Amino acid sequence: MNMKLVGGAALGLATVLVLSSCGSGGDSRSTPKSSAGGPVTLKMVAADYGDGPGKPNSGETFWKGVVDEFQAANPNIKVDVQVINWNDIDKQVATMVQNGQVPDILQTGDYSGFVKDQLLYKVDEVLSPNVSGDMLQKFADFGKVDGAAYGIPFVSSARALFYNKDLFAKAGIAEPPKTWDELKADAEKLKKAGVSQPDGLALGQEEAQAESFLWMLGNGGGYKDASGKWAINSPQNVETFNYLKGLVNAGLTTPNPGTKDRKTVWEDFGAGKVGMVNGGPMSIPIFDAAGLKNYGVAPIPGKSGPLDTTLGVMDWIMAFNKNGHAAEIKKFFDFFYTGSAAQKISDTYKLLPVTNGGIQKLSGDEKLKPFLDALPNASFYPFQDPKWAEVNPQIKQTIGGAVKDDPAKVLGELQKTAEAS
Amino acid sequence: MKRLRALEPLAWVGPAVVLIALVVLWPVVEMIRSSFLKISRFGVVQGGNGVANYEKLFGEKDFSDIMLRSVIWVVAVVALTVLISLALAQLFNQRFPGRKVARWALIAPWAASVLMTAIIFKWMLDPEVGVINQIRFKLGLIDAMGGASADQLGDASTAMPWLIFVAVFVSVPFTTYALLAGLATIPGDVYEAAKMDGATRLRTYWSITLPLLRPALTVAALINVMNVFNSFPIIWAMTHGQPGYSTATSTILMFILKGSNIGESAAMSVVNFGMVIILTAIFLKVSRWNKEVA
Repeated sequence: MNMKLVGGAALGLATVLVLSSCGSGGDSRSTPKSSAGGPVTLKMVAADYGDGPGKPNSGETFWKGVVDEFQAANPNIKVDVQVINWNDIDKQVATMVQNGQVPDILQTGDYSGFVKDQLLYKVDEVLSPNVSGDMLQKFADFGKVDGAAYGIPFVSSARALFYNKDLFAKAGIAEPPKTWDELKADAEKLKKAGVSQPDGLALGQEEAQAESFLWMLGNGGGYKDASGKWAINSPQNVETFNYLKGLVNAGLTTPNPGTKDRKTVWEDFGAGKVGMVNGGPMSIPIFDAAGLKNYGVAPIPGKSGPLDTTLGVMDWIMAFNKNGHAAEIKKFFDFFYTGSAAQKISDTYKLLPVTNGGIQKLSGDEKLKPFLDALPNASFYPFQDPKWAEVNPQIKQTIGGAVKDDPAKVLGELQKTAEAS
Repeated sequence: MKRLRALEPLAWVGPAVVLIALVVLWPVVEMIRSSFLKISRFGVVQGGNGVANYEKLFGEKDFSDIMLRSVIWVVAVVALTVLISLALAQLFNQRFPGRKVARWALIAPWAASVLMTAIIFKWMLDPEVGVINQIRFKLGLIDAMGGASADQLGDASTAMPWLIFVAVFVSVPFTTYALLAGLATIPGDVYEAAKMDGATRLRTYWSITLPLLRPALTVAALINVMNVFNSFPIIWAMTHGQPGYSTATSTILMFILKGSNIGESAAMSVVNFGMVIILTAIFLKVSRWNKEVA
């Protein structure tokens, strides 16, 4: 019995060896260069801003509309779009890169990791000057690594404080809080009025890094200090989390914030269980779906006054140079930014534009106005630092512990991760 | 000619062997290889990395807690599953009205997707609207909905029992059916003989049923050990391993690491792989020791 097993295993191993030697022998490195005139297929991978496959707002539907229009105008270029949800896109793209099957175009949340390995085209190779000139300067600057631009801002969003006007009226609060003291006082009033989560606090894995950053900004802190050094456990940040811990212990927030995702808390806000919560344009559809109408939007309160900045988040589109389709990619990018597509994505998903022209077009939208106003002065994650890619997942997993255990210790561990070489 | 005939079986087992090589052995080789490479988060292989991935993994602050928790998780889930399944199999082996329906009903948790089951339990435990909390609220076990006391998944001490409960819930059907099949193979005359000798019911169960059930029991428990150790969806859907890493097992850690360091994640996979082999070996040893006693 055992002998047979060994024999089988040996045979299997031999087969593997044969197969793998075949693999390396037949490795043909074909790099199709764009031949003049012939039809070219651009492979594109994009993130899904909608509710997933089959839903009317799915990424597939959106991109099909864009691509159909583009292909009608450019019969020689075909665009194959593969839409992947946000949870999987980074891992799947990493697998593609690892296997040497890079797409021509990638639209996702970060570009910087591809730059060092020289996988990307520079922006001026794939985008016309009139389009890149219209980008918000601050955004475009974040697309640069060592002075050369690689990432093209795709869409953006900003954050503000949403408050439930009915619950505020019930608790006898006239206007949204501006300072942390006011916030705490208001939260106590809401609690007395029977609101189970006076302040919605989502420090769970989904987006703990955003919620934390907004509170850090309120105390003049952040992930890095003014000189660009990591400062996750700065005295300001420790103070911030001590304040939050006080709120949590008094039962004034979402319970166990370190396990709550923003989507859950936004849904609770939509259901009228939460007094106030930090959110963005992308939370508006969730509130609408839950039937909540009477809410207001205000600047996020800080320790001694409302924030004059907010968290800006940008998503990126980039072009890989492996297949050499620069000319075709340029046509597609120019089409995307100058045509109706960029506007359509803002309308469909309540995402904010990244061009001056786009912001002007949207300025009439009452609900989006506070966010549009905040955009030019937004603060960003330190995502250009290569360590951010490693620190960010750690933050998502553990920073919620800072409102439960010792803040200095939890933030100190994160600081250690950031400083480790 | 004779030699050719000797090779004939190869034609029959060949395809299966190739298949196993492709989908089992090759990934294992790749996994081990990746664990010694430096791979950026974006999938770019940046060359060899020696044992640095392992050093980093073993240096993680939460690593030892997570490994210990993984073992406790496996032992707790498998032990509870087997105990409950032994009782259920015995029950379902009796003749009683509605047995057919009851047997069918037991399949439900097995037939449903594990991820779906986990998500449904997460909803039932929702602090604001979850039905389990509404019942606890009506019974006066908690003072209010939405507070920390209604949020059992928010704290490791209350979340772990729920995670184990759900894992047992989805493992029991398979185990019960495996044991039920085992019970069906025990011939009736053995029991008759025991009865003739005046053995008590407990004695009959201990000295006849259990030893004769041993093959089925071993297989069922072994499959459970491997399944539960690699179990990902229950914990991921219900807690993401949070707060912090306090409900994470090594499989969860492997997945989280994949987002920041693929090489380290591969190292975790290799350690996992080794753990499964060790757990299996220990288990087989223990169950053989049982045989000598019986």
